[in-house]
Amino acid sequence: MTEHDDHQIREALQQAFPPVNTKLRRDLWPALLRKLDAAPASVPWYDWALIGLTASVFLFFPQWILVFAYHL
Amino acid sequence: MDLLRRFALGEIDAFETLVRQYQGEVYAWILRIVRDPGIAEDLTVETLWRIYRARHRFRPDGNFAAWARRIATNLALDHLRSKRLQRSFVAEPGGEPQPDPLLQREAREKIQQAFRRLPAKLQVAAMLALVEEQPYDDIADALGTSAAAVKVRVFRAVRILRRQLRRLGVRP
Repeated sequence: MTEHDDHQIREALQQAFPPVNTKLRRDLWPALLRKLDAAPASVPWYDWALIGLTASVFLFFPQWILVFAYHL
Repeated sequence: MDLLRRFALGEIDAFETLVRQYQGEVYAWILRIVRDPGIAEDLTVETLWRIYRARHRFRPDGNFAAWARRIATNLALDHLRSKRLQRSFVAEPGGEPQPDPLLQREAREKIQQAFRRLPAKLQVAAMLALVEEQPYDDIADALGTSAAAVKVRVFRAVRILRRQLRRLGVRP
């Protein structure tokens, strides 16, 4: 493939895909804010780990449930 | 504390400032790839949302614009992959078609058609390098690869395109 061929294909592509107006038509912050509000809050992994650990402790030492409930 | 550090800590005000500063740049980058203003806007919002969700992974001494471009490019790639065979490129109303009597409308459509059949990664590389004439280093950064790899993709895209155009009876 020669440089001339490359130039031809570049020109053909540029004509097939006219320049686009890249100026943003509106502020996207409000749309983004809506999306952020709608997104469910994610629970971090360490919270899940803590829940799992607590559940395991209660499974092996059920009498601790009362102690735990007292301190709630 | 500087803006990027405050953003990484999750301060919404810092994020808003960054959005207002970079939304135009992210939109322009995506639009150059997908060439549809409506889709580019949606993908820009999605990109900025993902940026916010991934703020913990951002290094405040890093390049925010480059990071945003990479996330934007991945989203644009996903979009091209999902729409590869269905969508058509829409010319932006504000865009000026370059007059060329030699290249007929039919030939243009065939070129677009052949281009859409390229694998998404080749489409992105060829669109940004050949049509938009973006620097190879920027394209490589956005695609998470090297400039040499981008050149290979462009070369492959041109070769496939040339073969397909020959089959369609178009000689650029």
